[in-house]
Amino acid sequence: MKEIDARGLACPAPVLQTKSAIEEVNPSLIKIIVDNEASKQNVCRFLESRNYETSIKEDGNDFLIVGKRKEGVSPEVSSEILIDKKTTDTKKIMVMLATDRMGFGDDELGLKLMISYIKTLKEMGHELWRLVFVNNGVKLTIEGSEVLPVLKEYEKDGLQILVCGTCLTHFNLLDKKQVGETTNMLDIVTAMQLADKVINI
Amino acid sequence: MPPGDLERVLCGLKFPTDPNLIVGLDSADDAGVYKITDEIAIIQTVDFFTPIVDDPYWFGQIAAANALSDVYAMGGIPKTAMNIVAFPVKDMDISVLRKIIQGGLDKMKEAGVVLVGGHSVEDSELKYGLSVTGFIHPDHILTKKGFKAGDRLVLTKSLGTGVINTAIKGGLASSKAIEFVTHLMATLNRDAAQVMKGFPVHACTDITGFGLIGHVAEMVVDSGFGISLWSEKIPIIPEAFDYAAMGLVPAGAYNNRKFREAMVDIYPSVKRAVLDIMYDPQTSGGLLICVKKESADDLVNKLKGKGIDDAAVIGEVLSEPKGKIVVS
Repeated sequence: MKEIDARGLACPAPVLQTKSAIEEVNPSLIKIIVDNEASKQNVCRFLESRNYETSIKEDGNDFLIVGKRKEGVSPEVSSEILIDKKTTDTKKIMVMLATDRMGFGDDELGLKLMISYIKTLKEMGHELWRLVFVNNGVKLTIEGSEVLPVLKEYEKDGLQILVCGTCLTHFNLLDKKQVGETTNMLDIVTAMQLADKVINI
Repeated sequence: MPPGDLERVLCGLKFPTDPNLIVGLDSADDAGVYKITDEIAIIQTVDFFTPIVDDPYWFGQIAAANALSDVYAMGGIPKTAMNIVAFPVKDMDISVLRKIIQGGLDKMKEAGVVLVGGHSVEDSELKYGLSVTGFIHPDHILTKKGFKAGDRLVLTKSLGTGVINTAIKGGLASSKAIEFVTHLMATLNRDAAQVMKGFPVHACTDITGFGLIGHVAEMVVDSGFGISLWSEKIPIIPEAFDYAAMGLVPAGAYNNRKFREAMVDIYPSVKRAVLDIMYDPQTSGGLLICVKKESADDLVNKLKGKGIDDAAVIGEVLSEPKGKIVVS
């Protein structure tokens, strides 16, 4: 394994040192220590452009970057996708509510069921990641909604609640919304992509 | 200074006010504007920095073009300037300074600006720049605010000067990239400013140290609008993409990102190197012009007709999400 201590150096010096090490000995494993964020990011970008897989360990103020050469993969496909820093190990469940009633048939029953559904959602625990309200669903987030206290409680506990801005505007309810963040289609689409499971009601 | 630090320094300090001060410190604008009569206001700005290219004559030109740019970005016409010089007299041959000042003078001449004086100090590190004064009609000032939903954003210079300068520092930049970026940075924003005068322009700024996203963020904050940026339409200096992808991104770009990333939504399809370039601090960058949607293509064509080949429509003003930048 090749080791480089690039602490105390500013950009682009750590990248240059990594570059010459790779060009000279072409190691299958390389370790670089840097002490600032920009160098950390740049050395990782460089290693990835040279077909290395990177992992980073933080050690006090230092970052230990380990690069492992990938075999038989072209550098183009190795660039990681930048999406969301909050990605964690827990499963992420997104629930999308496009109505304020559960099921078809009897509206009164549908509303009762919906209230019960939202109250029971907490049983999903930490895996419940985002609640997204669209179309008639946004009516559950406005003043007078029976589930408002429950939703506020969820939000306080850190659950992200997104409410469709276009829908609120359509129903003229924009200033009546009492809980959640007004959102747009891009946020909704991105949330769907990031979620491990999407439940549509 | 890194974004955020200056705000902390100035926060809470009381600045004298004056009814004739139209644009002052309370807005994050490019230059200050002071009204003299109903017809005329003076516009003032100052900028100086350490060398970014090896050739002193070109450095002088770039520093001058960069300092003059703030006046153009607000719709004004620069008239007079003063040199600001810090020079290591003991370590460097005085002829270097002569070449720098010659570069600055030639750029001022091109801009129709007269040098009225200056100030020099001895310093361990070379620095050069200008303090510039210009004229503007008080009713025709362009700021970073005043845009409307649907407006298009037009950028007049390619991005990536910070990345190329990092590659130059590392000795990795090709001579073609060095030449391109040197000429680009030395190009005045005067022609672009002249062309935009004939169009329904609602806001304007120039792209400098905070990078494209940093300057767009200043526009978006408290504006009641959002802005969408189309990453694939953004003009980028040839080779800057490759240099960014291999980690030649200046630390300033990461500072810019850290300061603003909370207000930026990014489509997963956006290439990382392009995003890095959108945060890349620019030296003597182009104008970012907010123009009425219907006129955007016409504006770009007129800019290209004036030799501003990089000009492109790169985004639009959104009514939602307010206060956010959406990069697609």
